[in-house]
Amino acid sequence: MSEPFFHVENISKSFVGVKALDAVDLSIAEGEIHCLIGENGSGKSTLIKVIGGIHKPDTGSVFIDGKCIDGMSPIEAIRAGIQIIYQDLSVFPNLTVAENISINQSLESGQQVVNWRAIRETAKKALADIGEEIALDELVGNLPMAKKQIIAISRAVTQNAKLIIMDEATSSLTNEEVKHLFSIILKLQEKGVSTLFVSHKFGEVFEISENITIFRDGKMVGSYPTTELDSQRLSAIMTGREVTFDRYIYKDKNVDEVPLLSVRNLSKRKQFSNISFELHRGEILGIVGLMGSGRTEIATSLFGLNKADSGQILVKGMPVEINNPQEAIANGIALLPEDRAGQGLYEDQTISDNIVVTILKSLLAKSGLIDTAKRKNTAEDWAARLNIKTPTVEAAVKSLSGGNQQRVVLAKWLATEPDVFILDGPTIGIDIGSKHTIHTIIRELAEKGMGIIMISDEIQEILDNCNRILLIHEGRIVQEINDTAKIDAEDLFKLVSERGSFEAA
Amino acid sequence: MNIKNLIKKQEIQLLIFVLIFSTMITIISPAFLTLENLFDLLRGSSGVAILAIGIFLVLLSGGIDVSSTTIAIAGQYIAINVMMAMGVNNIWFAFAISISVGISLGAINAIFISILNLPTLIVTLGTSSLFHGALLEFVGTRSINSGNLPRAIKEFGKYKILVLERANGSEYGLSVFFLIMVLVVILTWLILRYTMIGRGIYAIGGNQDAAERVGFKVKKIKLFVYCYAGFLAGIMGVMHVALIRSANPQYLVGSELSIIAAVVLGGTRISGGVGTISGTMIGVILITVLEKNLVLLGLSSYWQKFFVGLIIVMGVIITYGDLSRKKRDENSSAKAIEPSSQVNSASQVNKGDVL
Repeated sequence: MSEPFFHVENISKSFVGVKALDAVDLSIAEGEIHCLIGENGSGKSTLIKVIGGIHKPDTGSVFIDGKCIDGMSPIEAIRAGIQIIYQDLSVFPNLTVAENISINQSLESGQQVVNWRAIRETAKKALADIGEEIALDELVGNLPMAKKQIIAISRAVTQNAKLIIMDEATSSLTNEEVKHLFSIILKLQEKGVSTLFVSHKFGEVFEISENITIFRDGKMVGSYPTTELDSQRLSAIMTGREVTFDRYIYKDKNVDEVPLLSVRNLSKRKQFSNISFELHRGEILGIVGLMGSGRTEIATSLFGLNKADSGQILVKGMPVEINNPQEAIANGIALLPEDRAGQGLYEDQTISDNIVVTILKSLLAKSGLIDTAKRKNTAEDWAARLNIKTPTVEAAVKSLSGGNQQRVVLAKWLATEPDVFILDGPTIGIDIGSKHTIHTIIRELAEKGMGIIMISDEIQEILDNCNRILLIHEGRIVQEINDTAKIDAEDLFKLVSERGSFEAA
Repeated sequence: MNIKNLIKKQEIQLLIFVLIFSTMITIISPAFLTLENLFDLLRGSSGVAILAIGIFLVLLSGGIDVSSTTIAIAGQYIAINVMMAMGVNNIWFAFAISISVGISLGAINAIFISILNLPTLIVTLGTSSLFHGALLEFVGTRSINSGNLPRAIKEFGKYKILVLERANGSEYGLSVFFLIMVLVVILTWLILRYTMIGRGIYAIGGNQDAAERVGFKVKKIKLFVYCYAGFLAGIMGVMHVALIRSANPQYLVGSELSIIAAVVLGGTRISGGVGTISGTMIGVILITVLEKNLVLLGLSSYWQKFFVGLIIVMGVIITYGDLSRKKRDENSSAKAIEPSSQVNSASQVNKGDVL
């Protein structure tokens, strides 16, 4: 067998005594689509940075085309044919498409004078190479995420990249856009470009990759042809333990009661129309639909952030007006927002500050000041109940891992003692181990009588946890699946993603 | 509708406002719309415009500079003092000294900002006080009035590149200040549009992390930006003393905010990355016309502050109000119904226009 086109050998890297990478190997053949998968903190990003010349490895070497290239600078890595597309894409919103695509080329040429014609030509050619068309003079800031991604890829192409590394490339793309991205990756493959696809979305990994390398705790724990793995096996290798997903069983006992929440003909122009459903005690109701289908808008509307134009909301049989989050909380409704970092947490503040922020009023002492002992006890109580791993609740939230941060958001809303808990993307950006814990917490809450609405892109998550599913398309409920035991992930995925064409026909 | 067009629009709006205001002044005081008055206006505002261009560059790179007026006055006052001490009577010498001081002080800003990576507002607030204190302590506090100024300075202030005759036979004309300003505008435009450093300034202002990753030498570019701003401040310092024929280390300091306001009013985004020289120039014209001519409307000069403030607030409402409305619209329409056909407003934008 010939030498692989790209390989890293025995790479180790420590940061202040913590071993981020421990003697890892990775090889990629020419034109291969290789996937690197691992939980958060498993060393994926560190390896990318070593390959890209941003970190210097303590030991080990990087080879491309048989040449040893370790100890190089980022620009040398680019010259060697390695292009990294970071999660944030590194595009310039204030510059045009043409300039964004050509900027590496311009810098690489070493010329100090800008040649605008060359910039346009480079950009045009790069876009043509991957079969895309975007107006060259458009400002990148005006483009949707998927287009920005194409620009980042085009930029890589201008540099005759031999290996393109995509770090969590799909995290902000819709399913449709992901498909499109994959078609571009396949096109690059035809040209002999290798892709290292870093992700933790199983579905995508299985769809696109030929080989999968798995990292755990800074070590390479396996490298397999994709065909030899299935998601169960992969998650077992990734987490080092067998994570089995049994389904949530809803004990049909409460249907005769007055429902916790009834929504009747809720409509909002351009967002959703005639949304009607009921939610009973102990239910986990899934809402699925494409991004943009209106599912998030329905959730925010129930929480008073996006008032509906018409329709009725009943809480325990009583009609209520929900004009703002305060009224929602007063009616026992809580919302865990989609965007954890932006809307769910004060990242710089302490865990306890975050947890008690929704219930400050109840912590007031007679003097009108906050009772600090009570505050601390409440926070500690929640931290213990949700098993938040931290030495102290006075640590900043940003010091926690994604999974633990999400538990803080959960705690914050659970502290309001809601009857109805709406979870929008409860495990976005959370690795598989923590995901399982969060699912367990959610199920326990439901079993204790809370009504839960779960919105998610992840079909498997919905299937595993929900006893009933509403399928939303273009702002309408197009289907209700009452018995989730009778449907598997593939069917549901088809229902969600093919709904568009089905509707049109 | 996109950001760039909006700014274009803002420039046009400003221009229209300037025209309306000028027409008003002309109606009330016909003396306003004479070539002579226009020449006067240009002479009086060229220096401010040059300082504004330095600030514009700093804002573009994502920073802010409140020390430029101090740097200008330091350059000026040191130059005049050195000239008098050495008995040199040469305008080029004045420029050489003032510019050297400007670049040096700009470099000090740059060291704090680019090497030590400190926030620009705090650094320039600090250095402006530091520079000014040092100037007053080590160079002096004495005001040097017209009688004692080197002759070359006064001659430079009167030098005209175009001389016209009034009806009564006396002369007036277009000051050399205007020429200097035009040269600075052209030079800066060329740098921004046609050099990698210039594009780097836009890139850093747009996304500094990305600029670093694609291989811009961010530290070098920032060093350039602050030195260039110091260079321009040095030029302005000499023009300023030639204009008012008196060198006083207390002058100018304190007027930096209205210059920054002029730049922002001209459409330069305070967070960096977006802005044009033409917008900056219109902003300066607007502020100058307001400053010089409210009196012609019969208003006390105190109104000037009031109106400048009012216009800035209105300008911000127009630009940022439009932006946030646009964002809201996009969000609701994109999220609402069509995920696939996300709005791609392919409008005719100019390729990273600088002017």
